[in-house]
Amino acid sequence: MFEAETIDGGEVRLMGRLDAAQAEKAQAFLDQLTGPTRLDLSGLEYISSAGLGVLLKTQKRLMPVGGVTLTNVNHHIHDIFKYSGFDQIFKIEPASA
Amino acid sequence: MQRRFHRRFDVLDDVFAFIDSFFVEHSISDELRFPVHFAVEELFTNMVKYSPESGEDIEVALAIAPEGLKVCLTDFDVKPFDPTRAKAVDTDKPLEERTPGGLGIHLTKKLVDSMEYEHSEGQSRITFTATMRGHDVRS
Repeated sequence: MFEAETIDGGEVRLMGRLDAAQAEKAQAFLDQLTGPTRLDLSGLEYISSAGLGVLLKTQKRLMPVGGVTLTNVNHHIHDIFKYSGFDQIFKIEPASA
Repeated sequence: MQRRFHRRFDVLDDVFAFIDSFFVEHSISDELRFPVHFAVEELFTNMVKYSPESGEDIEVALAIAPEGLKVCLTDFDVKPFDPTRAKAVDTDKPLEERTPGGLGIHLTKKLVDSMEYEHSEGQSRITFTATMRGHDVRS
């Protein structure tokens, strides 16, 4: 199951699992964002290539207005970002203590 | 342990639950759960996408391997399609040159120890292993 919620004006929390069955729901949520956004991934357990596609599409759309910053990424998902080169095209903030 | 699943994306939760039950039953390290979920999802969804002519369910079979497990996905009544020969992905491309797609098999190869494909008598079979030994080397 995948869930997303807006915490405040510029921060969004993604939770659960972003797989091929949930990608459409995630894209519909992220398509509503219009400005620079911090995505808190502390509750995101899992992402597949379908989820990466959702993040990439969002980053391409929002980059002209400030882009997406990813925070609190778990180590499995961080590996996925590293192996896909997403650590070069997203700003990734280290996990908070 | 093996089970067949309808060739639809919305069965993924059932596939993951099937894998999780095997992990629990055999006390397999949780560190391998993410890479195994990832690899199975990518291979399963590839079968769904690239062999739409088949009406058969897809079989997922799990077996214990030294320090981990061996996973085999079998697609029935399909033409050969070898995802292990997918073209290389340039992960250094800048954002403006990136397009969604193409990363699944590239990442799967990074996350598992080995992956083999065979096709015979109308069946495509992909087998991979994921072990703690391989995981420790990658970490």
